Amino acid sequence: MTGDTNEIALDIQDLRKHFGAIRAVDGCSFKVPRGKISGLIGPNGSGKTTTFNLLTGVIPPDSGDVFYNGQNLTGLKPYQIFRLGISRTFQIVRIYREMTVFENLLSVSSLSMPEREARARAEELMEFVTLSKLRGEYGGNLSYGQQKLLEFARALMTDPDVILLDEPAAGVNRTLLNTLLDQIHRLQESGKTIIIVEHDMNVIMNHCEKIFVMDYGVKIAEGPPDEIKKNEQVLEAYFGRR
Amino acid sequence: MTGREHLRNLGALAAFALALALLPGMLTLYLRTFVMFTVLYVVLALSWNMISGYTGYVSFGHVAFYGIGSYACGILVADYRWHWIPSLFVGGLVALLVALAVGYPVLRLKGPYFAIAMLGTAESIRVIVTVWERLTHGGYGINFPNIENSFETYYAMLVLMVVTILVSYWVGHSRFGIRLNAIREDEVAAEALGVNTTLYKLAAFGLSAIFPAAGGGIQAYKVLRIEPPSEFFIQITIAMALFTMFGGKGTVIGPVIGAVILYTVQELTWVNFPTAHLIAYGIFIILVARFMPRGLMGFAIDMGWARKGMVH
Repeated sequence: MTGDTNEIALDIQDLRKHFGAIRAVDGCSFKVPRGKISGLIGPNGSGKTTTFNLLTGVIPPDSGDVFYNGQNLTGLKPYQIFRLGISRTFQIVRIYREMTVFENLLSVSSLSMPEREARARAEELMEFVTLSKLRGEYGGNLSYGQQKLLEFARALMTDPDVILLDEPAAGVNRTLLNTLLDQIHRLQESGKTIIIVEHDMNVIMNHCEKIFVMDYGVKIAEGPPDEIKKNEQVLEAYFGRR
Repeated sequence: MTGREHLRNLGALAAFALALALLPGMLTLYLRTFVMFTVLYVVLALSWNMISGYTGYVSFGHVAFYGIGSYACGILVADYRWHWIPSLFVGGLVALLVALAVGYPVLRLKGPYFAIAMLGTAESIRVIVTVWERLTHGGYGINFPNIENSFETYYAMLVLMVVTILVSYWVGHSRFGIRLNAIREDEVAAEALGVNTTLYKLAAFGLSAIFPAAGGGIQAYKVLRIEPPSEFFIQITIAMALFTMFGGKGTVIGPVIGAVILYTVQELTWVNFPTAHLIAYGIFIILVARFMPRGLMGFAIDMGWARKGMVH
């Protein structure tokens, strides 16, 4: 039932989450390809962020399963899922505001990693996202774009296999965005699986190999960018019936 | 932080402890007692800081652990004829167990709900101690055999302070400590990024309960008489919070200087304005809250005298 685990990083089966009368995610199934950049799109309120929260255990699903390398993730706590190698950023940045940039990163390191290595990794990542000069500054004092970069770096601290990025482009200027996208491609080239929730269609269409489209809590389409652009159901979800 | 900086800090602690160790012979009984109580409040503020400063769970019931420690000492020494020093370890252990048992459900509450639950916990324990007369002598309180002990208790408190500072120093410069900070800053993010928040909160809470219990025990043996209203006095909790906030929560040095300065100010206003000391003290606190909301350490950081963060 778990599909070919060599090709599939995450196998999401009939996931459901209702908040009272709101069916945020309502029987959603899809298979995220391993080692590729995938996009998850849909109109506001279609259930993308809730899906991310279900995948990472931040909220427990009402029903359905998520398989990762053949292991069922449902019922695990967020920190357990994280330790299996699934990391994320948040739609609204959730950096630690009264901790320095360096501490933001170091706090994520696994305690099984010796402190010397963890520190080296944090330095390397600050270099990677061009925040080395702000090493000792409070996270809350950074600009919004820098906070996004910090959150991105923080999600990479433990060298995860799967990285979920919730609206990485929002509020980030073009130059910074290009840097960010370059880095996302570099991660993909090194074998990481990346899933991006994003409203910026340029980012999605130009950088994702596979796109999943959600509307009203269910997947309405999936495929490569060229197909999605022409898909009637997708156009209808975004622009209404013609 | 480099090894050299750690050595320098530990050297400063050693010098501070040595100075305090040389002091008692030169002091009057009043001053000896005053310094001992100042040191007690350093211990209390540092302990409160472990849970409330680093982890952000503001405990309004920390006096419970202090009271548990003083009653452990009172019962074992006065009724069971124990030597007072081993009773301190028993007090610390009982406080730790109570903290784990109470913390497991209560640390799931956030913000004001946690604060109020802890207030209720401390009051409940006070009531239990009051009505459990066969064990605690209830409202009669416990009297110790009357002896002069101001030197022994002074040195015991000093040792306790050094241990508490060392543990705080470790918390304040370790990945354990920054993970506690991460919980304070954003618990959802911390949990999603690999921190077993339940375990970490419980560890911090347990740790923060041990030292007040030992301090309460030493204090009980010093004053030679304890009763529920004095050992579970809410003002002791308020002092822990206030001294820590004044010095700078979430730092190692903050609670130490906060307790030393404020306890001294409290004593001086009490001595000099016996009728109006609470008003004078209150005005002082309002001024501090207005002009230094993040405490002395926050002020020092803003002025560029201290670095931001605790791990460098």
